[in-house]
Amino acid sequence: MKFQLPQPLKVRGAPRELATGANPYQPAPARVMRIQDLTPDVRLFELRFSDGSLARTFAWRPGQFVELSVLGVGEGPFSLPSSPTRPGILQLGIRRAGTLTNYLFDHISEGDELGIRGPLGNGFPVERFSNHDVLMIAGGLGMVPLRGLLHYLLDLRSSVGRIILLYGSRSPEQVLFRDELESLARRGDAEIVLSVDSAGGRIWNGREGVVTELLDDVELDVDRTYAVACGPPVFYEFVLEKLVDAGFGKNRIFLSLERRMECGVGKCGHCAVGYTFTCLHGPVFSYWDAINLPELIYT
Amino acid sequence: MQTLRMNSALLPELLEALKEWGRVWAPVERAPDVFSLEVIDDDVRRARPEALRTIVPFKKLLLKPRFTMLSGRTGEAPTDPLDNDAGAQVLFGVHACDVHALKILDLLYLTDYADPYYQRNREQLVVIGYGCWPDEHCFCESMDTSSVDDGFDLFLTPLEGRFLVAVGTSVGDDIVRANPNLFEAATRQDTRDYLRRLREREEAFSLEIDVTDLPYVLELKKDDPVWDELGKKCLCCGSCSMVCPTCSCFNVMDEVGPGGDSSRVRIWDACLYRDYAVVAGGHNFRADRADRVRQRYYHKQEAFVREFGMPSCVGCGRCIENCPTGINVVEVFQYVRGEL
Ligand SMILES: Cc1cc2nc3c(=O)[nH]c(=O)nc-3n(C[C@H](O)[C@H](O)[C@H](O)COP(=O)(O)OP(=O)(O)OC[C@H]3O[C@@H](n4cnc5c(N)ncnc54)[C@H](O)[C@@H]3O)c2cc1C
Ligand code: SF4
Ligand code: SF4
Ligand code: FES
Repeated sequence: MKFQLPQPLKVRGAPRELATGANPYQPAPARVMRIQDLTPDVRLFELRFSDGSLARTFAWRPGQFVELSVLGVGEGPFSLPSSPTRPGILQLGIRRAGTLTNYLFDHISEGDELGIRGPLGNGFPVERFSNHDVLMIAGGLGMVPLRGLLHYLLDLRSSVGRIILLYGSRSPEQVLFRDELESLARRGDAEIVLSVDSAGGRIWNGREGVVTELLDDVELDVDRTYAVACGPPVFYEFVLEKLVDAGFGKNRIFLSLERRMECGVGKCGHCAVGYTFTCLHGPVFSYWDAINLPELIYT
Repeated sequence: MQTLRMNSALLPELLEALKEWGRVWAPVERAPDVFSLEVIDDDVRRARPEALRTIVPFKKLLLKPRFTMLSGRTGEAPTDPLDNDAGAQVLFGVHACDVHALKILDLLYLTDYADPYYQRNREQLVVIGYGCWPDEHCFCESMDTSSVDDGFDLFLTPLEGRFLVAVGTSVGDDIVRANPNLFEAATRQDTRDYLRRLREREEAFSLEIDVTDLPYVLELKKDDPVWDELGKKCLCCGSCSMVCPTCSCFNVMDEVGPGGDSSRVRIWDACLYRDYAVVAGGHNFRADRADRVRQRYYHKQEAFVREFGMPSCVGCGRCIENCPTGINVVEVFQYVRGEL
């Protein structure tokens, strides 16, 4: 399958426009087509741009994100768990966390219109992954962006080597996309291992323990593998050094960072860390870049 | 660049003429030695272009401290109410450091995804520069921002009884051609006097900052105890950011009005404020004052250099003049270098 991704952005270059409009702060209307509970506090929202031509042409890179808006309530950045190889529908996996997300859970139903700005950020350097093995490690909500990457790699199956996903959750009911991941694992298109901190007596045929332990059991050819990690700050604290110990060069490990964001387009300053704006230069960084930015990982 | 001369006595006439190009803003004296930037259309004689700093710089003409970006019915597709649009404006009495600050804001707001709110006001802004004379808080000479050769439409440098007028753009040329009675060709004496003033002004700077390798020095000193010391002294009041011509961070908030109308409001913000880096769940990436103070200095002197090849401080001295606890950017960097 030949698939053309949008080029990565050259930061601080000539002016350009977001796909959703010339005013980068103005969301484009998108209709909620389907809502599905993924876990007790995470929901999948499927959206389609109300403007038919935007719905058809909206393209993004795995790892990019959008700003979701409800005027009068607020805006928030959310990763895209769907793959650009399956355009038309945009999925968001949203956890109940505060003002905006509570509103989405309590007041938004299928058929309602929301606002979207994007795509934003850099995304994963997937061009470099071709003909390589890709090891994805997800912790908690970090599965959301990695599910977009997983679908992308599966759709381009012949152009990458092994696709490995290690995904840790707190408990079985917290596992996002569980049925889908289990069935993909059975099909053998990807090597997928799920783990939970503790099964707590519930039926669970995955592993028990922290996700870093899963790493000990995978045979890797680190020289032909890229690692991509997504998870909360504590997760990075353990996973990244473990990958380095396993032999990965720091520039072959990628991670996606969460920061306070308002504008998403490099103007408001809120996401600044060291010399980077996370919304423009990120949210994906190599581990090498990340450790050279003060505050980037561990605060 | 074309250079002309104008008799000093004709300044009010020029200001009157400038009204043709938009509302005219200039520094005016609010209280003894306290200047603010105001519209002077009703009485152009209030203009005090030689005043060194207005408390709040020109950035307020381009982006209001608070404006509505989008509005509409709650939950419906919003529209831009043009709340920030100021129409044509003439900024009179812009000093060299301000022109540099304007260029820095242009870099930030007009690259990548151009900010339409900024852009619409910027495109209609006429910039009339004015040659100033430094005081003990100015250090633009060290920041390489003490003179300009572009970024203005006209630039007036006061000489004995007259101004040397540099015409920087075709809009400046329009102004000159519309007012032939005000300007005449500059003489060799004017140029000689101008160059002498330039030299004397260089000598007049008393405050200096050593910016050699500053980004490297900062990189090496990011864990230095000096930041904790500063964190103890700084109140995180944000005054230094509000008065800084290049500080332009903002926050975005949604407000619900009566009758189901909502607006998305954009407000000046400062990285020194406690909640600046708070994310959902309450985690604060810069909970310590020391980290926030460091962020401000690093962003101006290191981050901006890495991204744009120059610092985002123009040495105007406003933050020094307005800090309630006497924190002085020049001293901060002397500390960091270990010179104090
Ligand atoms: C790149 C990126 C990708 C993300 N992807 C996902 C995803 O796929 N799924 C997901 O569920 N979440 C994701 N998040 C997190 C998500 O954006 C937040 O959970 C969401 O914005 C919460 O919004 P809220 O209004 O519900 O929460 P609230 O806590 O009410 O508000 C959160 C936002 O409000 C502001 N705020 C919070 N506290 C304060 C305060 N004290 N003072 C002032 N302002 C404050 C900030 O803008 C903050 O980000 C992502 C974040 C980033 C940066
Ligand atoms: S003005 Fe002074 S006290 Fe206030 S935030 Fe700035 S450095 Fe701190
Ligand atoms: S940091 Fe201080 S001296 Fe530098 S431009 Fe801002 S207000 Fe002026
Ligand atoms: S979110 Fe505004 S600069 Fe990144």
